[in-house]
Amino acid sequence: MTIDGIGVLRAPAEQQYAAELAALAAADDRPRPPNWRLSPQAVVTYVLGGTLPDGTVLAPKYVGDRRLVEIAVATLVTDRALLLVGVPGTAKSWLSEHLAAAVSGDSTLMVQGTAGTSEESVRYGWNYARLIAEGPSEAALVPSPVLRAMRTGAVARVEELTRMPAEVQDSFITILSEKALPVPELGQQVQAVPGFTVIATANDRDRGVNQMSSALARRFNTVVLPPPATEDAEVAIVSARAAQLGRALELPAEPPALDEVRRVVRIFRELRNGSTVDGRTQLKRPSGSLSTAEAISVVTGGMALAAHFGDGRIGADELAAGLAGAVVRDRVSDDAAWREYLETVVRERAEWRDLYQACRDVPTGGA
Amino acid sequence: MSRVTLLGIRHHGPGSARMVVAALDALRPKVVLVEGPPEADPLVAHLAGLTPPVALLLHDEAAPETAAFWPFAAFSPEWQALRWAAAHGVPARFADLPASVTLAEPDGPRPRAAIDPLGLLAEAAGFDDPERWWEDVVEQHREADPLGLAGAVAEAMTALREEFADEIDDRTLRREAAMRQAVRQACRDTDGPVAVVCGAWHVPALAHLPPASADAALVRGLPRRRVSGTWVPWSHGRLARDSGAAGYGAGVAAPGWYAHLWDSAAARAAAARGNDTATRDGDNGDTAARDGDAATHDGDTAAHDGNAAARNDDAAAHSDDAATHDGNTAAPGNGTAAHGNGAPRNGSLAAGDDTVPRWFARACQLLRAEDLPVSTASAVDAVRLADALAALRGRPSPGLAEVTDAALAVLCGGDELPLRLVHERLVVGEQLGTVGPDVPQSPLAADLVATQRRLRLRADTGTRQLRLDLRRDNDRARGTLLRRLRVLDVPWGRPEDVARLGTFAEAWQVRWDPGFAVAVAAAARHGSTVASAAERVLGRRAAGAARVAEAADVLGEAVNCELPGAVAAARAALDRCAAAATDTVELLGALPALAGTVRYGSVRDTDPELLRTALHGLLARGAVGLPLACRGIDDAAAERLLAALDGAHEAAGLAADPAHQAVWRQALARVLDAPNAHGLPAGRATRLLWEALVLDADAVAARLRRAVTAGAGTGASAFVAGFLRGSAALLAEDPQLFGLVDGWLTGLSAREFADTLPLLRRAVAEFSTAERRMLGERVGAAGGPEGAGPAWDEGRAARLAAEVRRLLATAGSTGGGRG
Repeated sequence: MTIDGIGVLRAPAEQQYAAELAALAAADDRPRPPNWRLSPQAVVTYVLGGTLPDGTVLAPKYVGDRRLVEIAVATLVTDRALLLVGVPGTAKSWLSEHLAAAVSGDSTLMVQGTAGTSEESVRYGWNYARLIAEGPSEAALVPSPVLRAMRTGAVARVEELTRMPAEVQDSFITILSEKALPVPELGQQVQAVPGFTVIATANDRDRGVNQMSSALARRFNTVVLPPPATEDAEVAIVSARAAQLGRALELPAEPPALDEVRRVVRIFRELRNGSTVDGRTQLKRPSGSLSTAEAISVVTGGMALAAHFGDGRIGADELAAGLAGAVVRDRVSDDAAWREYLETVVRERAEWRDLYQACRDVPTGGA
Repeated sequence: MSRVTLLGIRHHGPGSARMVVAALDALRPKVVLVEGPPEADPLVAHLAGLTPPVALLLHDEAAPETAAFWPFAAFSPEWQALRWAAAHGVPARFADLPASVTLAEPDGPRPRAAIDPLGLLAEAAGFDDPERWWEDVVEQHREADPLGLAGAVAEAMTALREEFADEIDDRTLRREAAMRQAVRQACRDTDGPVAVVCGAWHVPALAHLPPASADAALVRGLPRRRVSGTWVPWSHGRLARDSGAAGYGAGVAAPGWYAHLWDSAAARAAAARGNDTATRDGDNGDTAARDGDAATHDGDTAAHDGNAAARNDDAAAHSDDAATHDGNTAAPGNGTAAHGNGAPRNGSLAAGDDTVPRWFARACQLLRAEDLPVSTASAVDAVRLADALAALRGRPSPGLAEVTDAALAVLCGGDELPLRLVHERLVVGEQLGTVGPDVPQSPLAADLVATQRRLRLRADTGTRQLRLDLRRDNDRARGTLLRRLRVLDVPWGRPEDVARLGTFAEAWQVRWDPGFAVAVAAAARHGSTVASAAERVLGRRAAGAARVAEAADVLGEAVNCELPGAVAAARAALDRCAAAATDTVELLGALPALAGTVRYGSVRDTDPELLRTALHGLLARGAVGLPLACRGIDDAAAERLLAALDGAHEAAGLAADPAHQAVWRQALARVLDAPNAHGLPAGRATRLLWEALVLDADAVAARLRRAVTAGAGTGASAFVAGFLRGSAALLAEDPQLFGLVDGWLTGLSAREFADTLPLLRRAVAEFSTAERRMLGERVGAAGGPEGAGPAWDEGRAARLAAEVRRLLATAGSTGGGRG
């Protein structure tokens, strides 16, 4: 894999995977919808991974149900907008970025939803110096990423849609149903070019979200992304991503041993589900979401520790610090849950003795 | 050989059904053979009176509960073949091993071949799901030459059979021998073409006929039984559950979807035929059947939204809308983005095909009826997503997987819960078939149908709550019917907690299962009507009763079923058992049920005096034996006696006349005087008599003291336990009683107290939390045995008294209104 974006911390997907996309486009002989870089089938292949006739190996970007990816891509083929819903860390933004990269070759037309997101960042703003000097004109208009996507027939991404205030969310209604954005100041409206669509992501777990109005909700096709179904699937995701990130960050550490990854994943899954793998012990659930994404960061954090302060090989000591930090989000209640887990589960597993020792030595601030 | 055409099908596949009908139209055979038990041949004549789904029910005449079903839906190829034959005046026969053989197999009728031929073929074609592969290759084939298709299926199966020749079991070989014999017979009977409709797997085995003697040898010596049968209504839900059960085996996971496919295809065909003046008889038949189906379905829906007409209009509007919308997006130069154009458009919106739009229209109706907001626009978008998904997955048109995915993403907002509703009501469906009056039925089944109609009690396959007011004749008859059917092992209704509703109301949960047909058939040997059969069964049970409780149960059921003959038999049985019974606990144990029966007897058409006499007889016998039964028994036996005694006491108070209540009280009094009586019943008898005002507080105090002083520790605590259990309020209320118990406890030595504690604990543990708290407060407040209660607050008491009076007044007025 080549990284074109040398000198940036993290290049957008279409640059990171430029080679794969180019190979796919070359091999793709199926009809493409207007302004699509690839055919729908090729987009699915890009996301799920595979091998091309010319021998190019495509890395899987999303590990999970093929059906969900097909629904997502088919949604984009029709002119409907796509809403990816799931608890934090289920690869919603990740999938959204790769879909945009594969469909339009540009995953950067993105609006981040926050409580402070204003209508200008969804519609358009003004270059006020020009506005005052020349009056309203095409040149004084500052288009939002959504407006630019409409003009070029690309995919616009909206992250955390439900974090926007409800009235800002609703400005999408016209865009999605009319495929046009009126600019009353200029007495005209911008009409979307074929290929334009919106991929939005939303958490269904966090507090402080603004529920979507039903008028907006029905303009989206909803795909719920579940957490990885099995431990093996999750281990595969974590180890692959951690290795990738390690390369990107140029960590002089070995890729993590599968056993260590498995331990992290098991701890996360057990705490997330509130019971041990064998189903015998009931556990307190910490308040954090303990997502796959956090498991990945625990492992990469461990790799960084091992590279710079250890022997370059990730072990119990390197994991312990990250684990406690990921699990204990609330100092009082989560600490109790973590301590209980350590004493009742980790301690009982003979082969986990080193991890127990290491974790016990890490202060978590609660006790 | 060439005049025999083999049509290999997938059981219950609508595509296969289309292929079969088209092939038969082309072939014009003189005889149609259908895979199925030959005993059912005479039943083919009744086809006209049936509305699918229906099932053939064949059972062993000697043991009717040994039975098997062969279900048919409207979209089953077998059913369509039978219909075609009936419409064209061509004989249709079944070809397979006789049911008499399959029924006699030790482990009952079993499904078909052990290996999955379609799974292997699908795997070879690169499909992960054999159903989908078959659907794509055969079921979705609309215009292909039917005979060519049948030939292709035969070829594929031949190749498969060669590969897996070793894995075909003996049973399959015997079945195929029987089928070949049927084919030979058919060839002898006619000079014209013969069509055979059978599972695709059997096609290669029927392609070449070996010498008849070989086949005869294969099927010789198989066990034979006399078999009779009929048609019974079947349901889509049952069809979905039957995957791998008796008969054809292959159940289907999505009968509702298949029915929808079949109906849509039939509607298309009917529309295409619209101008064709030379409409054939058979087609009329088909269309009529379809219309019948649709009507039934509408009826079902009407129950949901109360307006079937609106539904139809709406559905039409939807499909129009969808068509219009599609037109818009497809139009070049239109302002709206037309992404859909990029994908190959071969989807559901091809001219005249409204299968998928109609499906989503129905789904929208369903979800809206459940108050879930889905708009017509959503249905349009769902159709488009299903099309896009089909194109993406390279399928000729949207299948069940695509419409389900689209429904989830568009109509259900990603939520699995409403999708489950769609699955249950649409994908599986609740459609129930009907069987016409001319179909031979057992007299019992006919009586059941007639009674159902008379009582307006429909045999729904959905679960329903039924509240019956027994003062109304129709409701009472319904309750009686449900009870009689339960006696016959047809658990159509399940009685719900009756106790709380009083004497005049009953609550039932009713759900008809088409599988009850077996029990109905089996019950037919007991009588020609539901009433007579139930009476016979109850009479037999009464005659076989050996214990008082059994006889009392039968009596109770007989009264509830309003069967005088059975009541008489059960009464006789009760007398017989009571006379023979030596166990007082058994006698007393039968009393509560009997008391309930006496109370119901006034509602049912049974003379309550008759039952009361029976109750009095049992009570008198039990009263005589009671003192003796209390003597020389261990603690476990005493516990049993205590339970029986409590129940009997309640029963006596509820249903006995004053004279017999007096007899019962005398028996209790004798328990007190009986020497060596166990403390538990003696203590309880003491309290019951006190509650009945036979003993005053002083007398009770004396008895307690006597028991305490006389007994050597354990006897005394048993007495106290029997006395205290369930009497917390009494204890807290009566200072004399409280003082007595208190004095007794404080007077115990340390060791005696330790011995007493477990029994006391057990007695007190049965008190409710509130009662225990009340007792604890009483003990805490009392201070001493005769201690005065807490200071009396005059003002508070007055307020409380006023409130209580107000409550009593309210309760009195409403009570009066009800009374």
